[in-house]
Amino acid sequence: MTDATLLARIQFAFTVSFHIIFPTISIGLALYLAVFEGLWLKTKDAVYLQIYKFWLNIFAMAFGVGVVTGIVLSFEFGLGFAKFAKLAGPIIGPMIGLEVLTSFFLEAGFLGIMLFGLNRVGPRLHFFATCMVVLGTVLSASWILSANSWMQTPDGVAWENGRLVVTDWWRVVVNPSWLIRLPHMLSAAYLTGSFLVAGVGAWYLLKQKHLTFARRTVSLGLAIGSVLIAGQVFIGDILYGTMLKYQPPKMQAAEGVWETQSVSAAPYLWVIIPDQKNQRNLFEFGTPRLGSIWLTHSLDGRVAGLKNTPVPDQPLMGMAFYGFRVMYVIAIAMFALAAASLWLRWRGKLFSTRWFLISLTLMTPSGILATLAGWYLAETGRQPYVIYGLLHTADAVSPVPAGTLLTSLIAFIVIYSIFFTAFLVFVIRAIRRGPNELVDVRAPSGSLKRALRPSIMASTLGKKPI
Amino acid sequence: MDLPVLSALFLTGALCLYVMLDGFDLGVGALLLLEPDERHRDRMVDAITPTWDGNETWLIMAGVAMLAGFPTAYSVLLPAFYVPLIVMLLSLGLRGVSFEFRYQTVKARPRWDAAFAVGSILAAFSQGAFVGGLIIGVAVDKGVFAGGTFDWLAPFSILFGFASLTGYSVLGAGWLHLKSEGKTKIYAERCLRWITPIFLLLSSATCFAAYQIQPQVAEVWSHHVVSLLALAAIFLLMGLAITLRAHPSSFFFDAEPFVGGLIMFACALVGLVLTFAPNIVPFRISIWDAASPTASQVFLLVGVLFVAPVVIGYSAFSYWVFRGKTPKEGWGE
Repeated sequence: MTDATLLARIQFAFTVSFHIIFPTISIGLALYLAVFEGLWLKTKDAVYLQIYKFWLNIFAMAFGVGVVTGIVLSFEFGLGFAKFAKLAGPIIGPMIGLEVLTSFFLEAGFLGIMLFGLNRVGPRLHFFATCMVVLGTVLSASWILSANSWMQTPDGVAWENGRLVVTDWWRVVVNPSWLIRLPHMLSAAYLTGSFLVAGVGAWYLLKQKHLTFARRTVSLGLAIGSVLIAGQVFIGDILYGTMLKYQPPKMQAAEGVWETQSVSAAPYLWVIIPDQKNQRNLFEFGTPRLGSIWLTHSLDGRVAGLKNTPVPDQPLMGMAFYGFRVMYVIAIAMFALAAASLWLRWRGKLFSTRWFLISLTLMTPSGILATLAGWYLAETGRQPYVIYGLLHTADAVSPVPAGTLLTSLIAFIVIYSIFFTAFLVFVIRAIRRGPNELVDVRAPSGSLKRALRPSIMASTLGKKPI
Repeated sequence: MDLPVLSALFLTGALCLYVMLDGFDLGVGALLLLEPDERHRDRMVDAITPTWDGNETWLIMAGVAMLAGFPTAYSVLLPAFYVPLIVMLLSLGLRGVSFEFRYQTVKARPRWDAAFAVGSILAAFSQGAFVGGLIIGVAVDKGVFAGGTFDWLAPFSILFGFASLTGYSVLGAGWLHLKSEGKTKIYAERCLRWITPIFLLLSSATCFAAYQIQPQVAEVWSHHVVSLLALAAIFLLMGLAITLRAHPSSFFFDAEPFVGGLIMFACALVGLVLTFAPNIVPFRISIWDAASPTASQVFLLVGVLFVAPVVIGYSAFSYWVFRGKTPKEGWGE
């Protein structure tokens, strides 16, 4: 691998990893915002509006960073991977084009109304705007997951004079892994939202602050989160089977096993130090027999290892393994907390059990970490291909010198560090400050007529969220 | 029907919308640097806050339309303009996050405003330098970029960068004139009075220089003498009109200088399209040679046909909701 290839890959990995944090937050929070606003409209209880406004502020920041780091990606296909763009542009280009048309514009068009329009258009139309933003985030995830899934499990194309031509768009869009990877990602984002919302509430309960706000958010976040994590375990299991079928090397690497076939019942490995060059583990630690039970559903089933794949076609085991393990361990922790929450709720101690609230607070960013880890499994496990089975990553790189790539990589790291620091500082500050005091809000009377009446302009007043 | 022509029309339309819409956003951003009063800067940012995101989306649309419809051009132009594009993307990032972050802080707001202005200025400049580089020419060998990292960098592209910066500033000042009252409006008029003649000067210099340095430009222009002269005449008249009328309460309508600026940009953009067509990598690769297979063109164009009218509909609605003068207290929560 040349320096330029390595640098182009590091730059893409860095910018895409940084980016995915923010859509994960904004997809997750968007749904919660719609739920909170819907509850406010239905119950007329101002606490829900207070919750809505508190999370809207954080949503707006995450959305902003997500937008500007997302633009970078749509150009980076060409900046860093021109040969990929040339070959795959005719396939993923139209899909991302439809993403821009059906989703980005929808989000952008209604975001302004969502953030600044409550007094101008009235609550009902404002709720509609919130729902349109939610729809936009779902459509965006659908298209981009479709494009990415096509790169994982390409279908519906044929080679023609050295270029890929679409023979069946249906099979391109609904490729073999999309219909399971999309719900996997969406519930990951909604779990992220659940633990953010519940985690912040739990912290307030520990601090004995903003109690009504905190109880509502902890209760709702855990209720939705519990349903989601149960579903996610199920979805994850199906996806495991799908990827095992279409990308065996990825799942072989994800289990940390080298031997073509384990000699006896396989342990389930938790920690390994892989030695890719000599095709073995320098150290491994696992639970005996658990690997056979989980992976083959029998007490002494044999587990297939990465040596089944020729060395040049192998992904790096360490990346895929730890991507999978981090995601998996967090999922187990989420499941445990969700189970505990059901028990505590039944006993009426959900808001007063200290160890539980501390755990929940610590789990606040867990969804983000699990999502990031899952993407590391998906993307590094696909290597050495950028389009699985069709194009090697090393053959996809742009004719840009290594020095230029290094300079831009450093620039990205510097600027993105500023973004990240500012985001963290402002979010933590907003959480410490807590929600604004309850205020009387004009009764819902919103309609299109209200939005179109010029007198609204004069009466628009309010405070900025300073 | 000739599909690559339709795709090229859509791509051109998206790019032109981007330049005109985000052009005034970037212009307002650039003008922040010259405004010392923080409360006035708040008014200026408020004037573009509710709609900037949609405006910027047209840039993504154009980029992705090129990826989908003309992958060969995409894979040549992006590496060729690696440096100005990275500068543009990082600057747009800085500008974009400043929208959100400046509201989060009172103490550090001046610093975020500086980031906002610098981001806007660099983005505007690098977009101009990109087009300048296009006119200078891109080295292509067998459909692959074959030049160096700094081929685009020349006095001409720098001149073009400044021309686009001043042009966006005229648009931005026009928008502020439309959306603001009192001192901010007077400030907008002062900017129009000073920046419009500089823009006229720089863009005229750009035309002369392009004619001199790129023989292909001279060749193409000799086929469109009448239409180009007409465009130039409208452009100059609009610029002069804005310059001369930019005094307190001399415009009939508050929208006048903004509309004038848009007409100027429309002339300039039509001129550029006449110069480059039918090539997508100017003077090198035509839209037909760069086009993706028919199936890809059809998929995108059908999507555009059905979705683009809806997009334009609700984008217009969003502008309508936030129409009129920007409230003095900001948009509220």
